Amino acid sequence: MGELAADKHVKYIISVEKKKDSFESVVMEHLRLNGAYWGLTTLDILGKLDAVDEEDVISWILKCQDESGGFAGNIGHDPHVLYTLSAVQVLALFDKLDILDADKVSNYVAGLQNGDGSFSGDIWGEVDTRFSYIAICCLSILQRLDKINVDKAVEYIVSCKNLDGGFGCTPGGESHSGQIFCCVGALAIAGALHHVDKDLLGWWLCERQVKSGGLNGRPEKLPDVCYSWWVLSSLIMIDRVHWINKDKLVKFILDCQDMENGGISDRPDDAVDVFHTYFGVAGLSLLEYPGLKPIDPAYALPVDVVNRIFFSKK
Amino acid sequence: MSTRENSYTEAEALNLLAQLERILDLDPLIDEVGFIHPSQFATLKEEIGDSLSSEDRDHESTSFWIRDHKLGISTQILIPVYKAAKHAFISALRQYKTPGNFSGKSQDDTLAIEVMIHSKALLLLSCDFATAWNSRKLIVSNKRLLPILMDELHLSALVLSYSPKSEQAWSHRRWVINMISRNCSTLQWIIERESELVEKIAERSKMNYRAWNHRCWLVSFMTREQVLDELKKSRNWSGLHVADNSCFHYRRRLMLRNLEGFCYTQDNNSSGYFVETYQIWKEELDWNESLIKRYIGREALWLHRRFLSMYLIKHMATHLLAVSCQSKPKASVDIDIDSLMDHELCLVHSCSTTIADANFEEAQAIHSAAYMLWLTKQIPEYQGIDIQEKLRAGVGDMTRMLKRSCPDRSSLWDYLVGYHSEP
Repeated sequence: MGELAADKHVKYIISVEKKKDSFESVVMEHLRLNGAYWGLTTLDILGKLDAVDEEDVISWILKCQDESGGFAGNIGHDPHVLYTLSAVQVLALFDKLDILDADKVSNYVAGLQNGDGSFSGDIWGEVDTRFSYIAICCLSILQRLDKINVDKAVEYIVSCKNLDGGFGCTPGGESHSGQIFCCVGALAIAGALHHVDKDLLGWWLCERQVKSGGLNGRPEKLPDVCYSWWVLSSLIMIDRVHWINKDKLVKFILDCQDMENGGISDRPDDAVDVFHTYFGVAGLSLLEYPGLKPIDPAYALPVDVVNRIFFSKK
Repeated sequence: MSTRENSYTEAEALNLLAQLERILDLDPLIDEVGFIHPSQFATLKEEIGDSLSSEDRDHESTSFWIRDHKLGISTQILIPVYKAAKHAFISALRQYKTPGNFSGKSQDDTLAIEVMIHSKALLLLSCDFATAWNSRKLIVSNKRLLPILMDELHLSALVLSYSPKSEQAWSHRRWVINMISRNCSTLQWIIERESELVEKIAERSKMNYRAWNHRCWLVSFMTREQVLDELKKSRNWSGLHVADNSCFHYRRRLMLRNLEGFCYTQDNNSSGYFVETYQIWKEELDWNESLIKRYIGREALWLHRRFLSMYLIKHMATHLLAVSCQSKPKASVDIDIDSLMDHELCLVHSCSTTIADANFEEAQAIHSAAYMLWLTKQIPEYQGIDIQEKLRAGVGDMTRMLKRSCPDRSSLWDYLVGYHSEP
């Protein structure tokens, strides 16, 4: 088993920004702000956030803000909560939350809550428990949770719980590890984890580990490094992480590294990308791999960043 | 390849975009789009005997290929056409949204048409370009005409033909259907077509969460007849795709929806309703058992069984009790939990005894033992029958086998042993 090629991953992340000549990277430009969050959080976990020009990043992020208060995935695109959370998280990494008009951003997010407690992703009304997580996480970071009806938001998330203990996008939707992270994370931040049947959900989650040690997102699917985050963080939040084999998972993630050019892929020998690089490194951080900053399983930010938000004297 | 891509001039790129938009305009029935490597053009032409008319020849050669309403776009031109389409779309949208930039309604309409044309071309190259989908919603919601809304469903299906997991394309369908559902008598017909579309896409794109999630979403619009009909129609497909957890989840959704109906109609002939519903449950259990025995070691089948058994014991049996007390004559079903559990133990026993080297048989043994332990953890006791007591004799063997075959979860198995041995 190889070691974590930390320096190579840093180089890889910095290089991703520079080469944009493939069609695949060109058609991702609408979610560049998500990409910035994945890349920069990885750098911070690796202790190398100073490898990028902070001023450049921040001035670009501010240009992505819409007059509604929400952020778009790139300059000139429509705003959506998906990118609004990424913007807030990246500014938190740089300790620059104070340059935001927190009320304006949180009014945008709070304005998307519906009567049943659910959240729309933008003005066009698509509802998903992912957006509930985003809203709750974002408002919590901005310390503006009082702008929404948290009880109703919790009630809606609970209505998306299935008989297998997992959660789907909307009531009756199939359980999926990504959605489970969102629902458990939102309930954790809202102080409502008692709604989760921890044994039942823990059982479903630990059955995501396949023979190779990797985790899948749903029954019968192939393992994928990104679930090292979604499944693992959920197991930690409900205190059932000892139900999987952590050593085998560490090995699986390390086997997905490109040892030559850096970056981590979904499965061994596949092409790397910044999304899987982030989830691989974040997963290793949750597994207490040496040399990495610890990451918070609910806020998906380094623990020192979360502590700075909530415990620093203003 | 990238050197050639970079070598397109702006005028060439604009010309390619114009060609694409002309093709889309000339054939509104295009129902499939795909990206083709330049080398495949020659092969495609040979296959059809190069019978293109001279007019087709103008805009074909090596950029586009169209026949029988199928459109192929050369991978060589993707970047320049995308850039041209994006630029044209953004500037048209900016003009459309600028107040006072037009002198009257006709100008407004012209700009709306521009946005529609460019956003369509753009979405065929970049399926999740949300701003382009949004601009179409904006324009369509100003019109609210059924044929225009149906066109949006068609475009979304076209995008799904090359990108079946496109989140934005699926989301656009839901927005359109919500618009239609407000004032339209053809909704039930549309819901049926939607369900068929999902099945068609699921056939090509296996275990597609977004597609099946859409189908689950449709259920809330269905009448009870449609729910029962869907249950019947989707059974065959599920039997042929036993590893696809999503299709079984869809069946669970339909079965629970049917039960919701039961709860609301308790007063009117509820015992007849219940007999029918119970029958559906019983048939599903029998069918699931036959699949479990035919397809060895399939996780999705065992998970489906967990749901069926638990729900039957925990919820339906209680319901039945309530119904049979009220109804006259007495409901003609009796859920005998004791013999049901004996049956399940028998099934599990027959699946765990054949431990061989074969991976599938080992998987079958693991899934069956885990199934039984799961069930007893969820339902420790029912109507005075101690289900754990029934299992006590076998629990030792099962956990030993699980610890041997599945050591990664040994903490869970240890936890269960402790749980089962509690007084």
